[in-house]
Amino acid sequence: MKLSEKNAVVYGLNTVVIRKKPLEEPARGAGQRELNEEVLDAGLCTGCGACVGLCPYQAIHGDATVALHRCDIRTGRCWAFCPRTKVDPAALRSIAALGADWTAELGPVRGLYLCRARDGANRGAAQHGGTVTALVRLALQEGMIAAAVLTGPGERLLPRPLTVTDPGKVPETGKSRFVASPVLAEFNRAAREGAGPIGLVATPCQALSVAKRKLSGRNLGDAAVDRLGLMVGLFCGWALSWRGLSGLLSGKLNLEAVSAMDVPPSKYRRLEVTAQGAPLHIPIDEVLPIVRRSCLSCDDMTAEYADLSVGSARLPEGWDEARHWNQMIVRTPRGEALVELARRREVLEFREVPEGNLERLKSASLRKKQAAREAEAKRS
Amino acid sequence: MAREGFSKDPFNIVITGVGGQGNVMASRVLANMLAAAGYRITIGETFGASQRGGSVMSHIRVSRTSVWSPQIPSGGADIVVSLEPIEALRVLPAYGNRQVRVFTNTRPIYPVGVIAGEQDYPESAALEQAIAGLCSGLWLVDATDRAVALGNPILANIVMIGALCTIGELPVGRDAFRNVVARTLPAEKLDVNLQAYDEGGRILRRCS
Amino acid sequence: MPKLSDNSAGDERLLMGNEAIARGALEAGLQVAAGYPGTPSSEIVDSLSKAAGDVPLYVEWSANEKVSMEVAAAASFAGLRSLCAMKQNGINVASDFLLHLAGSGIRGGMVIVSCDDPGALSSVNEGESRHFARLVEIPLLEPGEFQEAKDMTRWAFELSEQLGTPVMLRSVTRMSHASGIVRFDSLPGKPRRAVFRCEGFMLDTDEGPMVSAPVGYRHEMQQERIRRARELFEASPFNTYEGPERPELLAVTCSAAALYCREAVSMLGAAGRVGILKIGTTWPLPVGLVKMRLAAAEKVIFVEEILPFLEENVKVIAAESAREIGVKTFYGKNEGTLPMNGELNPDRVAAAMAGILGIPFGDPAADYRRQAEAAAEAMAPQRGQTFCPGCPHRASFWLLQEALHLDNRKGFVCGDIGCYSLALLPCGFNSLKTLHAMGSGMGIASGFGKLGAFGMDQPVVTVCGDSTFYHAVLPALINAIHHRADVLMAILDNSGTAMTGFQPHPGSAVNALGEPAPHVDIETLCRSLGVSVEVRDPFDLAETRRAVNRLLEQGGVRVLVLRQSCALSPAKRAKRAFRVHVDDAACLGESCGCGRFCTRVFRCPGLLWDKAAGKARIDEVICAGCGICSFICPQGAIVKEVP
Repeated sequence: MKLSEKNAVVYGLNTVVIRKKPLEEPARGAGQRELNEEVLDAGLCTGCGACVGLCPYQAIHGDATVALHRCDIRTGRCWAFCPRTKVDPAALRSIAALGADWTAELGPVRGLYLCRARDGANRGAAQHGGTVTALVRLALQEGMIAAAVLTGPGERLLPRPLTVTDPGKVPETGKSRFVASPVLAEFNRAAREGAGPIGLVATPCQALSVAKRKLSGRNLGDAAVDRLGLMVGLFCGWALSWRGLSGLLSGKLNLEAVSAMDVPPSKYRRLEVTAQGAPLHIPIDEVLPIVRRSCLSCDDMTAEYADLSVGSARLPEGWDEARHWNQMIVRTPRGEALVELARRREVLEFREVPEGNLERLKSASLRKKQAAREAEAKRS
Repeated sequence: MAREGFSKDPFNIVITGVGGQGNVMASRVLANMLAAAGYRITIGETFGASQRGGSVMSHIRVSRTSVWSPQIPSGGADIVVSLEPIEALRVLPAYGNRQVRVFTNTRPIYPVGVIAGEQDYPESAALEQAIAGLCSGLWLVDATDRAVALGNPILANIVMIGALCTIGELPVGRDAFRNVVARTLPAEKLDVNLQAYDEGGRILRRCS
Repeated sequence: MPKLSDNSAGDERLLMGNEAIARGALEAGLQVAAGYPGTPSSEIVDSLSKAAGDVPLYVEWSANEKVSMEVAAAASFAGLRSLCAMKQNGINVASDFLLHLAGSGIRGGMVIVSCDDPGALSSVNEGESRHFARLVEIPLLEPGEFQEAKDMTRWAFELSEQLGTPVMLRSVTRMSHASGIVRFDSLPGKPRRAVFRCEGFMLDTDEGPMVSAPVGYRHEMQQERIRRARELFEASPFNTYEGPERPELLAVTCSAAALYCREAVSMLGAAGRVGILKIGTTWPLPVGLVKMRLAAAEKVIFVEEILPFLEENVKVIAAESAREIGVKTFYGKNEGTLPMNGELNPDRVAAAMAGILGIPFGDPAADYRRQAEAAAEAMAPQRGQTFCPGCPHRASFWLLQEALHLDNRKGFVCGDIGCYSLALLPCGFNSLKTLHAMGSGMGIASGFGKLGAFGMDQPVVTVCGDSTFYHAVLPALINAIHHRADVLMAILDNSGTAMTGFQPHPGSAVNALGEPAPHVDIETLCRSLGVSVEVRDPFDLAETRRAVNRLLEQGGVRVLVLRQSCALSPAKRAKRAFRVHVDDAACLGESCGCGRFCTRVFRCPGLLWDKAAGKARIDEVICAGCGICSFICPQGAIVKEVP
């Protein structure tokens, strides 16, 4: 007889007991076991950090979420809050009360803007137009939020989530990192310590996780999401694996000195990495193999569940001009109120959205949704 | 109090418990008491890796004439002394019989599987009833509680010996105990050991 | 207080088998004893070390068994009586030297004690050492009870000296760790003076060099010694026969199994039908005696533990003398009457004899047994082996497992021999993935650490205890360093040979005699080999875990010393660093966010789960007060206070 955990127990170095009745496989639930099977083991983890810091069972190391110990709770927050577990999209939209503004391509859209920070210092420290930096600073200054969970530089290309309460510190978090940052783990920590209201700058997967939390958190005894005062979404095509990126860049430049990374519009087919001096151009074909597996299955490019979403701009003048601006989708009344405040306080400057930008954004988003469907079909 | 001799030869005593409870010490003290009374003693003991959290057992064979196997034959125990309640039950399938007399400490030491929630520890009333149905006399001794009151839970083994010797099943008693402890332990430990022994005689209660 | 070294002939004492062996050696005038601790052998050298203050005796706990045998051999070469003691595995370790020692012969009486562990009550093998005696051609003795353990040991020195060969004395757990009444004889007078006479002619066994060459010459001498031993054994009082002159069944037995035979015959009331030939001199067998007893019986059963050693050797005699003694029917391990592994006991032996004799041997109390089994199964949950409360290994494996999971490359731990072998089990979070001989963890890891060239990207970790490090890990470590293997070695330094009772080792500041001794420092030693060494406290869970993750990212050999004394160490015993309790208001119990993390996952025996309240508790009788669970609790609900 082949012995397994089902029919035998080893009690000591020389004690084996054969079970009279084989152990029954516990029925499927919605807890860590399912999280492992459906997400972690399937390579679909986004590294958002939603399941980390709620309990001692999951942890983040590098950019990977790891199940450290086995939890046997049938229904857990880890599974419920994970952006990659199944959820009813209609239910999600209903709790966000966004149905009226919902578009199939971009989620809720109350307005599309082209804008940037008016303050050059904010812009300089930021990825493109500094819109996110300016808005988060403003929200902190105006008391709309008391703390902001953001992402700063860590060691060796690894981003580090952090909680900022001093508006002056916001620009230090301005750059895109291209590696998943577990900001939701930091949010869990900050919420647990009683901070609030908390602002969050989130990628699409992180925004989705927060939406799922609004849907099911209270039923699971979790009220942390009530501490959320603002969610600024980031457009996102994909993130890179940390180990992959380190491998790709090591030998090419000093990893500790990397100050900025960017992916210009797709026709350039490259990743730009700035350490010292002029940016290093890495051909996109070398980059795509190290894209995080889970990003290929992601169907949200614009953070559809955020209050407002910000990404890079497209302008008739070309990339050299566009890279100093942002495109912004305002989605919720709360997002709208913040943008109005920014306009009144003259924190942001705006220019007219070129004709066709909305359509281009929609078709880019649709392409991602289509690619995600194909990736999922291939996987299953 | 002490009886004249044993009803049979060899007379078999099982002392059982959990690693770290002083099982070996208890068997040595009791065996030395009997040896001093002129009996031929054989003790079989299980310790080593099996001690770490596992069940441990000593078999004491008492004879007027000869050496016996260090393992008691199946069903051959005359007395079971258990430093932990479920260990008393555990030895009965192999060594118990309808005539056996059982003395058990009442304080559980939970198996790690019970602590982890993978196994259940029985209710004390049900356990006592089960043991009582498998012996001709069951005595309960709150030995650990008394030992804690005396300052060290390890003394539970001595409380149990005190309990066992008090009911008069053995041809040895307090004097024999005193002599053995005085001979084998540092002088400053004599008093507390005698107190523990006396507690055993005072607090044991017959359950069936 | 009575001592083993009392010169009180006629005293009767209750002695453990190992103490009886030690007493026999003292009565023989033992002057040098060495060994390496291992259950069930440790009490031999332990009790000799206690006696060393009272009699002229040098005792050491050697770095390993081979060295202990060499140390004892040196004393013998210098004319003293010496002994080395070890568990069966130790004979494997020392066997290379033993083969050569058998060839060179000895001068002062030298006895090698091997304690086997039938049933593996405290071993990770069920090895059989008796074959070594035959393999290297030295005499083998097996005591069958406690008085004999003493007397036979004393005689073994005479025999060794008379023949000029080391003599092996084999005990088993149920002899070494059992106790019986032993009558003392007197201790000898003056100790011998140690002189190594080596100036003589090369072939002079009394005055020349001690060597196993020239091989042909020496080997012939060695075989002559065995021939003489065989002759002597014919009349040995340690070979006894009890029973009728022409028994229906002859039981050929040795060691503790002889006691089972006697008990079995008594249980069956078959004293008139069964003869018991108990052999104390099991190699070389006394052929004449064996033939005589075989001739008187048609049916023969062999009753011995572990492998069929007696059985096979007696069968050779039977085959060679079949014309004289006739054809016999044999029962034993080979044809399955008795099991080939596990311990024997009186019932197994009685059942085997009953089957042969046609005596009904059912269970007269089957009803009782069924009732008791049902009750025990329902109410006496099995006790899983576990680390003691407060054990530093629990913390070490906790953080090693966490680090390996975080590292996320399917890293694994190669195990070694000690209490920490239990990390194979849930108490050590099932960390160990290989477990073999002393020192094998590092050796295997050294091999794994070279497989990167073939695509293996799993981090390789090995653990060893401080005593094991000196025993056999060092050569493997040097091997790994020289060959640039990628290995993280964690030395679990709990300050002594904890498993067997805190015997000192080369890293200790005292020796077996209790004298101050230069301690060979693990870090200094490793650093001198050119390898990076970090020393950490496993109780500093978070920091040490981070250090492990950092070390896992590096290549080559890395040494991490995880230092924290054993909870049972003399320094810590009965002292609690903290008083620990659970704050009910904060304890989450079974809720999401905890899921009984401390009791279900950390599994320290000092914890309790209060089902009714749905809260964790501390078992104050069991808790050792290390306070580690306070770091484990996600809610900070386990509170530790300095008492």
